[in-house]
Amino acid sequence: MVRAYKCLRPGRIGPFSGYRWPVGVWVEGGGNAALCLRGIHACRTEDLPYWLTQELWEIELDDDVRREHRKLVANRGRIERRIEAWTRASAAGFAEGCAARTEQRAMQARGEQAGRLAELAADAAANAAKGEAALLGFIAARAAELDSGTEGYADERRAQANWLASELGLEAA
Amino acid sequence: MLISEDLTCQELVELVTEYLEGTLRPKDRDRFEQHVVLCDGCAYYLDQMRTMIALTDSLTEESITPEARESLLHVFREWKGG
Repeated sequence: MVRAYKCLRPGRIGPFSGYRWPVGVWVEGGGNAALCLRGIHACRTEDLPYWLTQELWEIELDDDVRREHRKLVANRGRIERRIEAWTRASAAGFAEGCAARTEQRAMQARGEQAGRLAELAADAAANAAKGEAALLGFIAARAAELDSGTEGYADERRAQANWLASELGLEAA
Repeated sequence: MLISEDLTCQELVELVTEYLEGTLRPKDRDRFEQHVVLCDGCAYYLDQMRTMIALTDSLTEESITPEARESLLHVFREWKGG
């Protein structure tokens, strides 16, 4: 049994499957046509910045739990408890942090990337107030990649995951 | 999503059938889903496709009125002819 996290839309709706998750009930990955054909998907803390939606739930995974690129996959899963600390306010806090780091990169940028980073900083500022957490995480990571390459991208995503772990009381990334 | 992993909205539309049938390669599936998380328009499009499939799955030949059947056949004939 593995404990992980599941990002859902309002009303416990799977963002890709459109499936409304019941609470406390085991759901089989292959048994429901509405679910992903390849099993139940969930996140480790380090994966969360890529998949953030409006609701965050703790999920138990069971039966052939395996790691894939930026996600965990299992044959069955059960959502247990909503992470109440993930709210519009905390999403806005996450987004503002991403916007601030993007702005800082843009201000320090020199050379050919300066213009592109300024555009990203403007995008980030325009969207931060809306609390678009996944989008702001993406913009900040993209800015880091332009600034420092793939290592910068990975560092930025790690910083985002650490922020989530710390602010929401999740298992460390 | 790294720059090299970017997917455009048009590419997503082209891949949606394979996505829903579960035949995309894992890497492409990941790119597809990353795009959906970031793009409200494509998330809405994916929802629409799922709804359309669910609705058409429940249709039988008998559930279509003769007028609708004739109209559909006309469209198909025109399409094939054109």
